[in-house]
Amino acid sequence: MRITILNGEPESASNFQEYLSDVARRLASSGHAITTLNLRELDLKGCSGCFGCWVKTPGECAKRDDSAHICRAAIAADLLLLASPMTMGFTTALLKHAADQMIGLLLPNFEIEKGEVHHRARYAHYPNFGLLLGAGGDSDAEDIAITTEMWARMARNMKTRMAFTALASRSAQEVADEIAAAA
Amino acid sequence: MKSLLLLNGSPRGERSNSMKMLRRVAEGWERGDGSAPEALHLARKAEFDRAVAAFAGADVVLLGLPLYTDSMPALVKTYIEALAPRVAVRENPTLAFLVQSGFPEARHSRPLERYLEKLARRLGSPYAGTIVRGGGEALQMMPDEANKKLWARLHVLGEQLARSGRFGENELAAISGTERFSPVAAALLSVACKLPITQFYWNMQLKKNGAWERRFAAPYGPALR
Repeated sequence: MRITILNGEPESASNFQEYLSDVARRLASSGHAITTLNLRELDLKGCSGCFGCWVKTPGECAKRDDSAHICRAAIAADLLLLASPMTMGFTTALLKHAADQMIGLLLPNFEIEKGEVHHRARYAHYPNFGLLLGAGGDSDAEDIAITTEMWARMARNMKTRMAFTALASRSAQEVADEIAAAA
Repeated sequence: MKSLLLLNGSPRGERSNSMKMLRRVAEGWERGDGSAPEALHLARKAEFDRAVAAFAGADVVLLGLPLYTDSMPALVKTYIEALAPRVAVRENPTLAFLVQSGFPEARHSRPLERYLEKLARRLGSPYAGTIVRGGGEALQMMPDEANKKLWARLHVLGEQLARSGRFGENELAAISGTERFSPVAAALLSVACKLPITQFYWNMQLKKNGAWERRFAAPYGPALR
């Protein structure tokens, strides 16, 4: 399975970073093709709502920053693992920067899907989504549920589904197994 | 008189749909209370910093934001993270929100609304409610005259916020419009989505930018068509 990890941890040295690296190593050693993008190392200019990716340079962010790497790695994957510590009840702003700049993966035009208005697909295939959350600090079960719900809505808009929400409080091997099972 | 801090969380800044709506709520607030709000755009660095510094001193903070990939824009999450030191304080301003989205149904914005309500609890802030409004991009196309009814509703909500510290539940329900479409409405919309008139807004811009031929471009993988 091709797995792209979007790592939304802002710190290079942290418990969550160590844990995520451990999970990635375990997945790689059992034969999965892992691409990890440490978002903190990328040049992301952020979405300014210009809709350039819809009406100026269709499919590409008009800002020509590293968001192209994110979009390419996402579309090439079977599973997109959204990995982030929880801060203020949600995944980090860093991870959200990546998501905001993925809107060009869809067309601007609407269609009706299962009774709801959604954007039309640009690509033939979209990866399943999975969430890996470092649920420390003041985050509780309600925060995890709300966070899952928002990302699951994005998955639905991206013509795919949220395969799982895993918590970094479990062992790295257990979580690696769950991720592998989501193929 | 109470103080109102008006925060525009749209990355588009001044010309955003969120700001257009926030202005009307602010006008209603002034009718009900009389104090002029301080308005700040989070998209401007200096104003972002001011918004962090001014948070604690306001009586009411009204944060308006567009729905970006089914949650808040990264810019708004950055602001919320900057408020982390306020969690321990537990005495924070009343929080009111306005979420506007391009989707016509309110359904899409509800998970974000739940997040914002929880955010108020996390900060120990009285929660005034969230105005949820869909069909936002249509505001860019329509002359202001066409939106009179919407502006009037936003005025009422602003006045309620000033007078009672809360948005009225009936008014919130009325302004959010259709929660989800009935099967019949969905079937009709499905047909309507394929009509040239509903594609006009995007097609016009693609053509103006010389990008029409590339509108289905799929630079990162196999295209659907």
